[in-house]
Amino acid sequence: MALNIKSNFDLDKNIWNVSLNGEVDVYTADILKDTLSKLIKERKESIKINGTDLQYIDSTGLGVLIGIYKKINVENKQIIVTNIKPSITKLFKITGLDKIFKLEE
Amino acid sequence: MNNYKEEDNIQLSIPNKPEYVSIVRLTLSSIASKMGFDIEEIEDLKVAVSEACTNAITHGIKEEEKNFEILFQTYDKKIEITVYDKGKGYLGSNKMEKPDHSELKEGGLGVFIIRSLMDQVEFSQNKGNGTIIRMTKFLGR
Repeated sequence: MALNIKSNFDLDKNIWNVSLNGEVDVYTADILKDTLSKLIKERKESIKINGTDLQYIDSTGLGVLIGIYKKINVENKQIIVTNIKPSITKLFKITGLDKIFKLEE
Repeated sequence: MNNYKEEDNIQLSIPNKPEYVSIVRLTLSSIASKMGFDIEEIEDLKVAVSEACTNAITHGIKEEEKNFEILFQTYDKKIEITVYDKGKGYLGSNKMEKPDHSELKEGGLGVFIIRSLMDQVEFSQNKGNGTIIRMTKFLGR
């Protein structure tokens, strides 16, 4: 399974909306990295990730999010992660990343 | 369904390329669901084994024409998965270190995740070349 990413910028809320569909692993993590890097180059704003259709993510994807977070956090921007599966929430919790990113239902 | 009274071995040899890690996950899902692991446990297994494969690919042999091996051993009440890489490095650390978030790093979470999701994890050296990661998960724990 591959990874499809859709994104748009919400002008009212000043935030990137990014929907992930598929799997983020060692093969697809670069696609995520390239996409998010382009977005924050265009506008260095917070990113809200919709994980409704995110089937799988591991440390390769978490690493990408950490890298992007470091770039935007210098300007106090956040990464918000919404609607992820329980198994993925667990991954954020055991790595302590639930304290770095904002997890929302 | 649960005819795994004795040990059964299933072995995969996959090219040292990122695109094949999803095949390992599919194989594992199918084996683990036959054994009776629930969805949550299967998700944990998938992540742990992918992390080990990612290690094999990124820290192991760089030559893409070579393969690395994954052995699935199924028993009545547990599955043991061993990932052999033939790299030069040895990333063995049998201690568990919680990631330090005052110093956020992009890499290095993999081994921590494996240890958190599996019941037993053992690192050893592959005859002086590379790393062997052996992971065990018990049914119904």
